[in-house]
Parts: sequence; C-alpha cells; structure tokens
Amino acid sequence: MTEDGRYKAQVTVVKQECPDADDSEIEEEFRRYEEEFLIPPEDALRSVVRKFQTASGMEVTKLASPVRAEMKVNRFSELGADDRNVTIEVAIISYSPRIQMVRGEERQVAFGWIEDNPWENSDQRERWDYKDWGEQSENLAPGSVVRLEGASVNEWNDKRSININRTTRVTVLREGGAPVTQISDEPVTIEKASENEGYANLVARLISSKPDVIVKRDGSGQLDVVRGRLADSSGSIGFLSWVPLEHEPGTLLKIDGASVRKFRETPEINIGDRTRIEVYHDTAFASMDDLSQSNKVSIAELRNGMRDIEITVQVESWDQRSFTSEDGTERVVRSGDVIDPSGRCRLTAWCEVDPKQGDFLHLTGSRVQYWQGSPDLVVDDAAQVTDLSDPPWDSIDPEQHWIEADLTDVVTSGSRRGIRTNGTIVAVRRDSGIIERCPECRRVLREGACIDHGPQRGVEDLRLRFVIDDGVSNASLLLAKDPSETFLGMDQGAVKEQLEKEGQDGFAAFLRERVLARRLSVRGRSIIDEQGAMLLADEVEQDETTSVDAANEVMQRWEVVL
Amino acid sequence: MQEPTRRFSRQSAVRMFAHEYQEASLPEEGSGEYDPSFVITKLGAKINRALVCGVIDRMERREGESGPSYSGHIRDPTGSHLFSVAPFQPELHPDFEELLARFESGDRFLLALVGKARWFESEDGGIFTSLRAEEFTVIDKECYTNWLVETAEATLRRIDAHSASLESELTPAALEAAGVPSDLVDGLILARGHYGELDPENYRVGILQALSMAIGRTSVMEEPQPAAPTPTLDAATSQAQGEPPTPSEPLGDALTLVLETIRSQDAGEGVEYGNIIEALVQTGHSHESAEDALDDARTQGEVMEPRFGFFQLVPE
Repeated sequence: MTEDGRYKAQVTVVKQECPDADDSEIEEEFRRYEEEFLIPPEDALRSVVRKFQTASGMEVTKLASPVRAEMKVNRFSELGADDRNVTIEVAIISYSPRIQMVRGEERQVAFGWIEDNPWENSDQRERWDYKDWGEQSENLAPGSVVRLEGASVNEWNDKRSININRTTRVTVLREGGAPVTQISDEPVTIEKASENEGYANLVARLISSKPDVIVKRDGSGQLDVVRGRLADSSGSIGFLSWVPLEHEPGTLLKIDGASVRKFRETPEINIGDRTRIEVYHDTAFASMDDLSQSNKVSIAELRNGMRDIEITVQVESWDQRSFTSEDGTERVVRSGDVIDPSGRCRLTAWCEVDPKQGDFLHLTGSRVQYWQGSPDLVVDDAAQVTDLSDPPWDSIDPEQHWIEADLTDVVTSGSRRGIRTNGTIVAVRRDSGIIERCPECRRVLREGACIDHGPQRGVEDLRLRFVIDDGVSNASLLLAKDPSETFLGMDQGAVKEQLEKEGQDGFAAFLRERVLARRLSVRGRSIIDEQGAMLLADEVEQDETTSVDAANEVMQRWEVVL
Repeated sequence: MQEPTRRFSRQSAVRMFAHEYQEASLPEEGSGEYDPSFVITKLGAKINRALVCGVIDRMERREGESGPSYSGHIRDPTGSHLFSVAPFQPELHPDFEELLARFESGDRFLLALVGKARWFESEDGGIFTSLRAEEFTVIDKECYTNWLVETAEATLRRIDAHSASLESELTPAALEAAGVPSDLVDGLILARGHYGELDPENYRVGILQALSMAIGRTSVMEEPQPAAPTPTLDAATSQAQGEPPTPSEPLGDALTLVLETIRSQDAGEGVEYGNIIEALVQTGHSHESAEDALDDARTQGEVMEPRFGFFQLVPE
C-alpha cells in the first residue's frame, strides 16, 4: 500500500507525455520502481514515461534530445541536486537586488529567501536561498506567493538553492508588498529594517551585548554566539552574532550586510562572517541615555520571540509548582497573571521570586514566549526582578480591567488578553453547537476519530463559532461552553435537545436569527497568527445601544443636522 | 500592519446603501489566482463582501439545469439591492424556500443579508452590480435601524475620505497623509481614476433619510430630488397590509410609461428594474404604483424578463 497522492507530481508529468495512460497504472509503476527496484520516483520518471509511451505505441522520446520533463513539486525536499524545469509554489521572503558583473556585463541580479508550502504556517515550511537572474523584481515582492515554472536547483558547498532564470515563468498567486526595485547600499533605520526580512545596512548604537551559546539540535556540540540589542532613534532590535563582537555597549557601529530574519514574530539582526562592522562617528546620533528607553514596552506591545525587554507590571495572582524535569531533577516554576494599564498577560519565573498580589514588579532582560497562543513574559534570574515600593500607577482592579480596543486594533496587533471589543456578526459557522472531543487530548473528533488517538467515544462539548466584523476588520469569534450557555440562556442539554429536533441546519438558522447583523460586545482574549485573528470570548453581550442614541451620536460626530 | 502572509484573509463586510452600490460600475478582478474580486463604488468603497438590510421586495425561484436558483430585492431608503442564491448553494435553499413561501403568501419582512459582490457586463459595456447571498435572516426593526445608523456613518466616512482625496495627490502616501483611512486608500485611487466628477450630496440624501428613520422621525424631509424613492420605515414594514400611499398627480398612464421607458432605454440587454421604477417615480408616480405597473405589464405579457431584473418589450 502506498499513501494516496505520494506520486502525484510524477504522475502529472507522465500524464503530460502520455495523456491516455491510466493514473493508477502509472502510480503502480512508480511504486514498483521505488519498492521493488529501489529507484526513487524522481529518478524513475524517464523510465516510466518511456514505458507508457511504448505501451501506447507513441514515438519514444529520444534520449539524445531529452525532453526536460517538468518537475512539479510541492516541497523543496522533493527536489534533487540537479533538477531542472521545476514547477513549485513558493512564498517570497526577501528580495535583495545587487549589480553583478556577468560575463563582462553589468547586470542586476538579486538574491533572497523563499519558502515552500506557502499556504501553511511558517513552521511547516522549508526556507531556501534563491537567485534571480531574470530581473523579475516586479513579480518577486516580499510577502507574495508565486508559482515558479522552469526554475532550477543549484548546489554549491552542499547547500541547495533555487535559480530563477530568464526563461522561468513567474505567476503571482497572491500579491505581497511593494516590489523592491531600488538598489541601495545606504544604511536604513531600524524601523525600516524591521519591516521585511532580507539584507540591510545599519548605523546603530550597541545597547547591550553578552555572550551566549546555541546547542546544536543534532547534539553535535554547541556554538558560541553573541546576543544583544541595537538602537537608533527609530527603535531598537535584537541581534544575534555568529562571530565574536567585542565592542563595548554604547559604541556607535556601522553594520554592512547584516541579514534581518524573523525569530517567531520578532525581527532580529543576524551578523555573520560576511557582515562588515566598523566603529562610526556621528556626534548628532542619539545618545545611550535616549536610546536605553527604547526597549521599554507595555503588555499590549509584547510579541512572541522578543528578548531583553524592560517592563513594569502589577501582580494579580501568583502560584508555584514543582515538577520533575527530564533529567530527573526536582524543579520549581512560579507563575501568575500580571497586568499593566495596557492589558494583561502571564509571567513565568524560573527563579526565586515571590511577590504578593498587588505588588509592582520591574523586569529587565525578560523574554517573551507564547503560551496557549498568548504572550507570556519569562524571567530566568531573580536579579532581573525589582519589587517597586513606589507604585508607577494607581493600583488597577483586575476584576474591572478590560482594555477597550477597536476591532481593527485587535486584529492588527499581537495576541492579547483582557480586551473588550465590538462588532457585528456577519457569519454563523455551521459547526456551531454540540461537538465531540477526544477524551485524551480534547481535540475535536472528526467522524468519531481523533487525528492522534484514533476512534474514540467522544466527550460532548458546546461551542459557538461566528465571524465578527465592523465593516473594516473581522475576526473569528469562538464561544466555549460557559459563555455559550450564558449568551444563549440555554444549557448544553437544551441546546442538544434543540439540535436533535431541528438538525444542524435548523440550529444554524436559529442562531442566525439570534445574532446575524446584531452588534455584540465581546470580552476575552485574542489570538493573532498566520491563520488570521480569533477572539476567545469570556463573555458576549448584545450591544444594547438604541438606534436613537446611536443616530444622535453619529450626527454629533459628523456634524449632521436633520 | 496586516500580516501579509495570510492565505485567504477574509474580506470584511462593507455597510452599503443600495444607491451607492447600484451606481458602481468599476469591477476589479484579482490579479492572482486566489485574489478576491471587488466592485469599487464612486466613493471608493472596495467591496468584496457587503452587509445589507431592508425590506424584502421581490423574491423568485428559477429552475435551471443545475438546480433551482433564487433572487430577490432588498430595499433600503436609497434603492434596492439585487441579490441571488446560486444552485451550488443548496445549504441556503431550504431557508430561502421558507421565506419565499412567506413572501408569496403576501407577507413582507425585513431581511439582513451578507453577500459577495457580483457584476454583469452588458454588451454595450454597462456594469450591473448584485450580491450573491452567503447568510441571511429575518430581522426586527431595531436591528434594521441599527444597521441604518451604521451604514449612514460608513457612508459619511467615505464621503469625508472622498473630499479629502480631492485636495491630495492620488498616491497611497499622500492620501494617508490627507487623513484617508487605510481601508479606503486603494479604492479611492481606483474610483477617482475611473469615475468623473462626483457630487457626494447625492449620497447625503440617503444618509439623512436613514438617520431620520433611526430617530423615529417618520415624516421624512421634503425630498428635493425625486430621483431617490423615499419609502418611510413604517411604509416599508407595513407595506403588505397598509394602503399604498396615494400618488400625487401622476403625469401619465403608468403602464404606457413602463413601455416607453423600456423602448427608449433598451440597448439589447433589457432595462434594469431600478431604472424603470426611477423613470416612473420621476414623473410623479409613487414607488409602489410604479412597481405595480411593471408587474402588470409583465403579467399582461407586454414585457418580458429574460434575465432577472432586466426587462424587454415582448416582440410583436
């Protein structure tokens, strides 16, 4: 047995050559080549094509003038070192044009990063370098998704990359940002450099730097690196240097040929052996004092992957638990909910910190990681934490602490907790109602089976899924059991009864009558990722503003007189 | 900044009165395979999806080779939205049948509808806009008036952005600097490049009517431009039971006018429903009597409707 579609790309190629051949026979042939002849499908391609050409009495493509069969693949991993005429859909991550002498002629070439599997999350993609020899800058804007037809694989120093040639056809499947047509060696601001991944030149002050080690994943040892922060008047950015960096904090540096890469959601400057760094002199450049403010953030600004940030928070709750770590030692982790005037989040401490509820903590050098889709502040060393005796703001009542946020602000910022927003329901998802969850992992069962745990007797749960929209932005809105029951004024049993009586479609119609085109006010948290924006509601209420009040407000705001 | 690497990021539902949408004649097909399509209005709204509300005006089933399809009109204070349900949306058919039965029994009701922008281009290049339903439900009056207020504000916001654009260069940076909200920048550049000069006051009339309805002032202001029909909310909601308002002195026999209008305006593709009604309203007929006349003309076999919403004279 073979997995379905395992040879899909190759079958397509064979079908182009031999349109009359039967799909399953072609697949069977590739399976035989792979399992019985141990020839991987990409290498078996020509043989299989020939077999079916002969079988159908077609003229066999002559080996002397080999037709470059199109290699249609979904993943870089399917490509061989010298594959030509490759068709693949990719996401353009960066595009850096350079003038290069090619056979005595000055030509614009460009290089950058592309990722395969462009419709999925970035953690399910592979990233390769590419070179554009075809001056296709218009079609290769960072952020876009394109189909390459007729690209080729290049291997150099054991590293594979993609060549986009003059004959390569580039079809834009989804447009990205503005195309990069300017070639500039001018330094850019940190704000500008943070916008796109790619190469950048900077003039920036070194704010902090400390040695660190990276343990290689394959266990083959560790690498010495330097981490720290750079800043200019436009902002600050973390850096990771793979080469020694011996400048003192405070030094102004000119950095040429650094690369900007994203670590989770946070851009970071990478310094390698091809980066040139020199001390720079500019008396007008922002001073260390001015710049050291730049890594102070509020909870609303937290993004996954941030490092070395400074923040003040008010402790709402605090707990500790001990567990046995993988190496058998007993460890203690402390954590709790914290708030500031901009929102709320979790704080995790891998060190001895024992604040009381209502304490104010000042954290330095802390980092952010995601915990259940929301940012979680992490401190590793008690020296990073100062308990403030002077409160920076009047104590916030956590019960009443909901940050009013416009739906557009919610969907364009990072994931946040403790927000309240408004919008109108424009869609009722048809799977709203009773679902069955896997008793092992709580994942939703599909046709009675869990993706990890197989067929299960499901545990029933209630949830409602809507789309909330304010005419400018929209987000999915998810109500778990408790907020669903409160909102509907029905318990799970009553919902089940109604579903049994009216069916899934009837229940959806009932929900539409209740919510479609209605304004709702939602309290809860947001999860913003590549799939879009989702609101997990703690509480949902019908907006009770009467249309008379709303109309008067609109007339006032827009100075309309009837 | 919107995360640029999202697949199919859902398009928001623009709040839109019928008048602005009817007058739109600029479609934009997405350039990429997965890119959404839009209808761009004169005020620069870029519509892929819209939320509209109003009283149900016409409803119809058509039997086609691939199954039944449905269409109808939803009327708001500014005009009518044409909408349809396709044969490939069977999940919507039972609900629509239920509404259709209510409609055919003479019931009228307020409907909220979320739909995707569609358009049709006639041979002479005319663009006719409509919506393909995604979700709809019957709503009450308070929900409707809330929508009127929201849509009035959304339209005011577009008028404001449009006026700001008149003083500014038509580049994204210049428009944003002039205070145009970022969701309107693209659409305004396209709209200003395509449409001629525009007097946004045309749209302000509808806004004032909508707001008057919302604050319960049923006596809508004296209508300076008879072009826009002015049903009051009460007239709209109680249309089925209520007496049609007495028309002021009509300027001619309604049936004759229907035939005249179609004869003079038909360029081969038929004349759109709204245009015929508008022509009659301009000559002093009430909206209702205009519709009745067109209905009569159709039942009497004087005119035919080869495509929903488009009328032609029956060939002699």
